[in-house]
Amino acid sequence: MFLGMTQVDQFESIFRSALTDTYEYALPEVNSVLLVTDRNETDVQDYLKDIQKFLSVLGTSVTWSVLNADDYKTTQDLLDRVDQEKPDIICSYRNLKSKDWVFKHSLGSYLDVLIQRAKSPVLVLPHPDADYVHDHAMQNTDKVMAITSHLSNDHQLINYALRFTQSNGSVFLSHIEDQMTFDRYVGIISKISAIDTDEAREKISEQLLKEPAAYIESCKQTLLDNNSPVTVENIVMFGHHLSEYKKLVLDHKIDLLVMNAKDHDQLAMHGMAYPLAVELRQVPLLML
Amino acid sequence: MDAEHIETAQHAVTTVTPSITALFGIILTLMIVSLAAEEKLHAKKSVIVGVFAIISLLLGSFLGIIPIGAVTVPGGHHIDMPVYIPGIDWKVIAIIVGSSVFVDVTSKSGLFTWIAIVLTKASKGDPVKLLWSYGLMTVIFSAVLNNVTAMIIVGSLTVVSLGKLGRSHQLLHFLLIEGLLTNIGGLLTLISSVPNIIVGGAAGISFVAFFIKAAPFVIVATAATIFMGAKIFKITALKTEEEKQEAAHLIAGFNENDGIESRAFFWFSTAMLIAFILTIATTSILPVVKDLGMGFVALAFATIMLIRYKAEADKFYKAVDWDLIGFFMGLFVVINVMEHAHVLDAIGKAVQFMIGEGETSFGTGVLLISSAVFSSVTDNIPLAAMLAKILVSLGTATDSTLWWSVVFGANLGGNLTPIGSASTLVAVTIMHKHKVPLSFAGFVIKALPFAIMQITLATIYVLVF
Repeated sequence: MFLGMTQVDQFESIFRSALTDTYEYALPEVNSVLLVTDRNETDVQDYLKDIQKFLSVLGTSVTWSVLNADDYKTTQDLLDRVDQEKPDIICSYRNLKSKDWVFKHSLGSYLDVLIQRAKSPVLVLPHPDADYVHDHAMQNTDKVMAITSHLSNDHQLINYALRFTQSNGSVFLSHIEDQMTFDRYVGIISKISAIDTDEAREKISEQLLKEPAAYIESCKQTLLDNNSPVTVENIVMFGHHLSEYKKLVLDHKIDLLVMNAKDHDQLAMHGMAYPLAVELRQVPLLML
Repeated sequence: MDAEHIETAQHAVTTVTPSITALFGIILTLMIVSLAAEEKLHAKKSVIVGVFAIISLLLGSFLGIIPIGAVTVPGGHHIDMPVYIPGIDWKVIAIIVGSSVFVDVTSKSGLFTWIAIVLTKASKGDPVKLLWSYGLMTVIFSAVLNNVTAMIIVGSLTVVSLGKLGRSHQLLHFLLIEGLLTNIGGLLTLISSVPNIIVGGAAGISFVAFFIKAAPFVIVATAATIFMGAKIFKITALKTEEEKQEAAHLIAGFNENDGIESRAFFWFSTAMLIAFILTIATTSILPVVKDLGMGFVALAFATIMLIRYKAEADKFYKAVDWDLIGFFMGLFVVINVMEHAHVLDAIGKAVQFMIGEGETSFGTGVLLISSAVFSSVTDNIPLAAMLAKILVSLGTATDSTLWWSVVFGANLGGNLTPIGSASTLVAVTIMHKHKVPLSFAGFVIKALPFAIMQITLATIYVLVF
């Protein structure tokens, strides 16, 4: 039988589309937590208790240690101390040893360096003196949201989100495609006569949302297979990252946001991580 | 329409002199050389043959060697028809157009990609199992679809799956073996390749008889090619349990249902494909249908499938390979003129001289090998069309091994060079696309042991069985 000289690329596309990333379930071990503060030892005790209560999901066998204001003088000092401690998780807050936290415009040099250089994930907590913390935040972790611009094959992100989600809690796996970027590309396509604009818009948007949705489905199935007590909710949509995430945090009363921060190709933080870390101050953020 | 039955010369035809035969012989040679240099000329086959068809018709008409006038159709009616119309074998054209549309609409159901992915997953990512899966799939798809389509489907899947498994360094070897297997799969049935249709039709071989004769060879040659490929290219099985688990996990990411838009249409297409193969296989014995022929069956099934996409049927007409159709039409016209110029008689005498009187083992072997060599440097379709006409004119019996020499030689010759068949050319194109280029000489060096093995096997098979 005969079929026309169908383009090789057409079938490659069909098979690439059929090949989805499947989630690998492997929860990370969290045996030690290091709290980095700019307080003295006596002032920090109540704060430490609040954090331990908030992170009760980690269990009672976790070793807690604290670095106070006197334990480091420079960012290098801080990194050296963290290297010595080798914690599984670092907890800290914005604008250490600075009053700038009131301005809500930066992370402060210490936290900035910690997120980018420390090997361990950093849990960024709302500033202890801040009054803008959401009512539901810092109580427990029964609603955790994983944030990514490309939710596909990102097993570590999902595994950390799950590790920090309480039993019978919900983990929200979110993927928001940037509407402005998409509109810009469609605008360019609309100027190319060889491409049908409406068809391109439909097919590209469909494919952009299909991949993360398929990955989330594989997460759900794997968790079901592993009898996980956590429920997976999926949020896959177009929108503006910052405003959509702010809205989602409020709508779903999210207790913890988990996101990738390190970018192996550059010294600076991952593209989307910095603006989110600066602006989403009302809830804790786990930055990997 | 069968030109031999309906064509009647209304005008007097000039006596054909040896110089006229020689002149048209040169034209035919030039056309074959031009087809062999298709890539160098950057011209499609249809255009090359079309130009030679125009030249042949103009010269033939000018010299008065072609009969021009009304033709007689069954029932004794005379109708005016341009001389180049009855020369075309419309049965072949109908099969190709009908099958093209039928397969294209069927493929929209996701059936072929579903089969391809299910077989990939069954291999669990093991390279040897993958090679066997893809090898068998290539042969079956080549037999049921066509060689080029089979190569495109299996080749594309090979690129994606080897990439996922981190085995892109084996891409060239997989694609080469698959390319070589397309020409073996093309031997399986009467409708698997154009030379089969032309030769089988001329010889009067039925679909079932063709399959029974070709199938044992196809099975042995497929197994030998895959086994040899795994040995020569050192494609080995995964050894450790860890490697096996990782490969299985990676390949599990394929979703065979991804391309299926409608479950109902998927099953309908599956049923229609089975019905199509069964109907084609039994066309020669089905009442009413046997008079209408395989071309009618293909066109009827295509039309039924198009009902699903009735509002956008025109999109599927684009799937028809109009270059191939144009090529056939031009080729049949040229051959028709060559027949009137007695060129085919002259070639027939040369072929008879080469193979000897009657049916000898020597003649059968020589015809198979020379067909293979000829097919390796130019298109096997003109060869099949010419030899079929010549064997008919020599009064060759349906059960003669000479028909099979042409079928096996014309199909397997494509494995000697990258330009020997369209499917091996597709394999090389995919290699180049993915930056694993293979030169002409490189292809010949790598493919030669396989081609020699296959042609030797075919010669023994035709002579012994």
